[in-house]
Amino acid sequence: MAKAKEKLTSDTFLEFTLVLLITAVICLIGNLIYAWAAARGAGPVDWAANFVQSVPGLLILCGISWVGLVMGAAIPGPVPSIIWITVIGIVLSVPGMPTSKYVIDSTSKIALLATCTPVLAYAGVSMGKDWAEFKKIGWRGVLVSGLVMFGTFFGSAIVAEIILKIQGII
Amino acid sequence: MEKFKNTKELLSNWPLHITCFVIVIICECIGIIKIPVGNSSIMLLPMLFAMVIGMIVYISKPFTWINSKCDKTSSKFVVIGVSLLIAKMGITSGASIQSVIKAGPALIFQEFGNLGTIFFALPIALLFGFKRESIGLTYSIAREPNVAVIANEYTLDSPEGRGVMITYTVGTLIGTIFVGLLASILAMTPLHPYAIAMACGVGSGSMMAASSGTLIALFPNMADQISAYAATSNILSNIDGVVMAVVISIPLTNFLYKHWEPIIGKRKKNKSENN
Repeated sequence: MAKAKEKLTSDTFLEFTLVLLITAVICLIGNLIYAWAAARGAGPVDWAANFVQSVPGLLILCGISWVGLVMGAAIPGPVPSIIWITVIGIVLSVPGMPTSKYVIDSTSKIALLATCTPVLAYAGVSMGKDWAEFKKIGWRGVLVSGLVMFGTFFGSAIVAEIILKIQGII
Repeated sequence: MEKFKNTKELLSNWPLHITCFVIVIICECIGIIKIPVGNSSIMLLPMLFAMVIGMIVYISKPFTWINSKCDKTSSKFVVIGVSLLIAKMGITSGASIQSVIKAGPALIFQEFGNLGTIFFALPIALLFGFKRESIGLTYSIAREPNVAVIANEYTLDSPEGRGVMITYTVGTLIGTIFVGLLASILAMTPLHPYAIAMACGVGSGSMMAASSGTLIALFPNMADQISAYAATSNILSNIDGVVMAVVISIPLTNFLYKHWEPIIGKRKKNKSENN
């Protein structure tokens, strides 16, 4: 929904910081277990070393996110924070930047999949309130919505496939 | 206004955070479940288990501390928490910037592939007896910006508004799992993982996480490319979403509706689905 930009107060700053830190802590532990689960059967896992190696990467991700969130809230105009966050991420890691190697190396210790799990746990809880609304939708509505999602996804994949083939990339 | 209202609410919801923490630990311990199908696999990711358990915890009775008081905080965590994933994907895009630029034309044109869904889903919606609802239902994948556009043009109380809210609600509840499975299924077709990766960016952050995560689990040696293409495609959708809706998709859906409704919807009585 078209959200009016929230006013930046010390409350918002604190909120961004806390949400990111709580998510990062859950992510840190999740990432350790993810590494353990991925290496299951492949010998012992050095939990302490993994822990120490994960911290800088997570702090970098938190820092980028925090700056992007603040920019999204502070800069007038319709640019949402996820665009700022992506742009900062690209700028810091693009080959040739002095930060590139360090940023890529330290964040490579954080599995992409492990950054998703905490968010989706919260998403599940927040979906709970939509459940009552969902039950009211008949099977036709659900079916058509499913087809719409399928069509969007598939349509995009087909066009990408054709253009990538023409370009000779695949 | 009370000082530090949001922060206080966030901290007072500590049982929610502990619960999500425990959910994540359980789900990561389970790990990725692979169901082999033919020469490929359906991948069930820990994040999908986490989402389902989160919802069960909210709906079911024994977990009394997870209730409507958590609504605001949990949605804040979705919006803000997804930043970590976006930052991670931004970094991968930067590291693979050359392949992203090289694939620029494909990334841009696949945005128009999203329109294909209108030709495909609108006739079926009409066949089911939807009238003006079908405009909102089928014009897009109905994430927040798309809902906002419909709200602007028609209001959410209109038939078009009811339609878009159906796709929005269904997408919110089952969309993430749906596209996660869809990525596994499309990976069994001759489509190249790169092309599927670009399709992963069409919806919300959670949808992108589930679908690109599935692809990465299936093709670990292409992980960087997949995540870079998915992230760029998602950013493009965010940039062009509203403009595309206003300039192309809504007028196109209206145009097709005008021509197809008299043919397909002829014998059907107006049936409102959302009763």
